Amino acid sequence: MVFNDRIFGILMIVLAVAYGWGATQFPEPFGGSEAVGPETFPLLLAVVLGLSSLYMVVRPDPDNAWPWSRTGIELIVAVVVLVLYAMLLQPLGFIISTALAVGTLCWRMGSRPVKAYITGAVSGVVVYLVFSFALDLALPLGILSFLEVG
Amino acid sequence: METLGFLMDGFGVALQPHNLMFALIGAFLGTLIGALPGLGPANGVAILIPLAFTLGLAPETALIMLTSVYAGAMYGGRISSILLNIPGDEPAMMTCLDGYPMAQQGKASEALAISAVASFIGSLVATIGLIILAPLLAKFALTFGPAEYFALFLLAFATLGGITGKNPMKTVVAAAIGLMIATVGIDSTGVQRFTFGTLELYEGVDFIIAIVGLFAISELLFFIEEKAGGGKEKMAVNKLSLKWKDIREILPSSFRGGVLGFIAGVLPGAGASLGSFIGYTLEKKVVGKKGYFGKGDPRGVAGPEAGNNGASSGALVPMLTLGVPGSGTTAVLLALLISLNITPGPLMFTQNADIVWGVIAALLVGNFLLLILNIPMVGIFVKLLSVPPMYLLPIVTMIAFVGIYSISNTVFDLYFMVIFGVAGYLLRKLEIPLVPIILGLLLGPEMEKNLRHAMDISDGDWTILWNSGLAIGLWVFAGLGLILPYIIGPILRRRMRNPIEEGASGSD
Repeated sequence: MVFNDRIFGILMIVLAVAYGWGATQFPEPFGGSEAVGPETFPLLLAVVLGLSSLYMVVRPDPDNAWPWSRTGIELIVAVVVLVLYAMLLQPLGFIISTALAVGTLCWRMGSRPVKAYITGAVSGVVVYLVFSFALDLALPLGILSFLEVG
Repeated sequence: METLGFLMDGFGVALQPHNLMFALIGAFLGTLIGALPGLGPANGVAILIPLAFTLGLAPETALIMLTSVYAGAMYGGRISSILLNIPGDEPAMMTCLDGYPMAQQGKASEALAISAVASFIGSLVATIGLIILAPLLAKFALTFGPAEYFALFLLAFATLGGITGKNPMKTVVAAAIGLMIATVGIDSTGVQRFTFGTLELYEGVDFIIAIVGLFAISELLFFIEEKAGGGKEKMAVNKLSLKWKDIREILPSSFRGGVLGFIAGVLPGAGASLGSFIGYTLEKKVVGKKGYFGKGDPRGVAGPEAGNNGASSGALVPMLTLGVPGSGTTAVLLALLISLNITPGPLMFTQNADIVWGVIAALLVGNFLLLILNIPMVGIFVKLLSVPPMYLLPIVTMIAFVGIYSISNTVFDLYFMVIFGVAGYLLRKLEIPLVPIILGLLLGPEMEKNLRHAMDISDGDWTILWNSGLAIGLWVFAGLGLILPYIIGPILRRRMRNPIEEGASGSD
């Protein structure tokens, strides 16, 4: 029994129906309706997605294994790191958040912790310097803003 | 001979000192991107787009730089094929067959030099083809009406998976998803579609964010899953002892490979992988029993390598003249064009002649730069190959973050990119191709616009979509593009696998 394609196919059929229904709810454009209104193209797409997804449900490809267990956790950790990186970029500043994010990722990918965080810190500082001096673009300094020159 | 005049003007643009400098930077970065594991050409070009923006480069400079990156990535792909027996990207697969055995016999630097010369010739042949064919095709494309364009876009989607593609239905699913994402935002009549009242979505989804997320972030997640964190063992590179005779020997192979590659690149649905495959098989046939293919024959390196570079230049023909890319990387280049406010397509040859011809000239100039870069500096690239992905990929991810952040300085875009990254990972696990999604995002607005125009002309009569001979032809080819992979796809795939397996057993 194969699941991946079937489940994805069903999800996409649901999406197609929801999307198609959403398209029928558009208000009529100003100036009256035309041959092709704002809903025509989306409705076409909903039909195409619905039919092609149905094909996936009926004739699915063999499954690829999902990484459960440890690798799965590593993946979730990586995604959490990326989200936190985005969240902390402004408050902590580019250099510190980069050191933490790149460091953690290198470490989780198999580097030794010390080397990992040094890589993170160095890359953060280098990219910051390149951006602010060579390219003249301001990245947020965050809590390091006291270092700002001038 | 009008073309020659344009080309001369193009050289005038491409040879301006700062454009030349950016071409050099692009060629260097491109080779690097091609050589490094886990950074395909599409991926590399995608990450560099936001940076090209934030630098505030002039359109032609940005395009010249990224075309050089594109050309460079094709050169770089061969380095890991030859030294590690790992193709940098799919088209470089054929180069492994004779390149790796040559390296095993202690002729790594000869293999690298030969492949650089073959790449150069392949690109050169194909760029000349591009110069001849592109203006003709552009002129022809001026006769296209909206209905023909609509059919052409369908053809582009249908053939994207290529004849060797596995499951064309998944291409359709992916294309529909991409087109759906493209409908988000305020449409041309001022109606809000699928914005859910979120201010950030009013202008639609920025395809650059989607591209970087889908490619770069999902690549990071894939590497984590495969635990391919450490560096790979690589071959020692000997001192180069290449004679003129060795180069002369591979010249015919390179020319043949370049021509075949160009044809494969221009045709929809063939692509660089098929280009290098045909290049290799033809060489085997032509040389016959005198060759020792699979055991380190230099002609087996030159043929496919010229084919693959020829195909990548050939792939620019439909992208520049019709605005319809045939591969992932050309789709990313199209994204750059659209974001620079240049409408790709036949009109570009008249309205933005300086840019188009500047880019074409830059392709020629870039090739010379790459040849010069690649022979003496190959040592540097070889050293960089040993940078383990566990350091490389986090840094690449960081650069993607910086690039996206610097476009609009909002964190919302970063979250969006991460979401696209996770989605990209899940889709790749399901073997849903990502390129049709990107193409859908890029072509969606144009496709809808052409549908509207066609219907306005016909006053709501849908039959206009297949009313001209040209449109019918395009529909037929689109249909074939979806059906043929089911019929001859398995045969071709098996054929492509056979020599690789022979090669693998031969080199053990």
